[in-house]
Amino acid sequence: MTPEEQTDALLDVLARGELPDSRDPAARLLAVLLDDVDQRRSSVSMTPST
Amino acid sequence: MTTGPISAGIMPIVSEGSVADAKIGVRLASRLPARTDDSDLRELTSLAVQGDRSAIESLLGELRPMVVRYCRARLGRVSGQYHIADDVAQEVCIAVLSALPRYRDMGRPFASFVFGIASHKVADALRSSVRSAVPTQDLPDGPDDGPGPEETVVRYIEVEYARRLLARLPDNQRELLLLRVVSGLSAEETGNVLGMSPGAVRVAQHRALARLRQMAELESA
Repeated sequence: MTPEEQTDALLDVLARGELPDSRDPAARLLAVLLDDVDQRRSSVSMTPST
Repeated sequence: MTTGPISAGIMPIVSEGSVADAKIGVRLASRLPARTDDSDLRELTSLAVQGDRSAIESLLGELRPMVVRYCRARLGRVSGQYHIADDVAQEVCIAVLSALPRYRDMGRPFASFVFGIASHKVADALRSSVRSAVPTQDLPDGPDDGPGPEETVVRYIEVEYARRLLARLPDNQRELLLLRVVSGLSAEETGNVLGMSPGAVRVAQHRALARLRQMAELESA
């Protein structure tokens, strides 16, 4: 799989609301934004664990 | 989709669940509902164009969450609320409904048609002074089950950080990532909206993600 294909697959996974690798800062940023704009999100938390 | 009632087979499959990562503390919302297959969506669109009310309702039910997420991601919050973005999303849905009788399937995905309209509506909203009007939040009728103040602040900081870095991407790269991830369009659909081939989308999105990753790493260094 080429790097471009890997990115394509990663974006597909992120678009489904999943975060395959939380160590990837770019993926995490997009996941955080997607979570915030999700209509159903209002009662779902996204805070760091303590 | 083959035969049977419209509602059978075209409704999104809701896949509830959560993604948790205790190590960094990200707790994402439930997975987004799976999108209807392209072929099903095409048949649904065809029925909707012919005025089938059930098909129109199903089509809007499929597209509206995608449009809302897109408008929210592009327009952000005003006074902590998504009122303006949600109003624009509603305008997009109305515009799509109005244009539906004139829509002709030319081989392009219907989602491309919808997000072409959405992109223009968002641009209009950004240009207009409507964003200066600040709505006030209605008083709730009952207890607020939403996150508490501390949780809200932490989330706000995280999201604003994501928005700030995304804003530093070139417009085309930012739009591309939002269409792919927030709206959930495929590379083909995204290419149709932006006038790019699927191959060019895949190259550009790879560069955009690499750039975003680099910015995030520099910020955290």
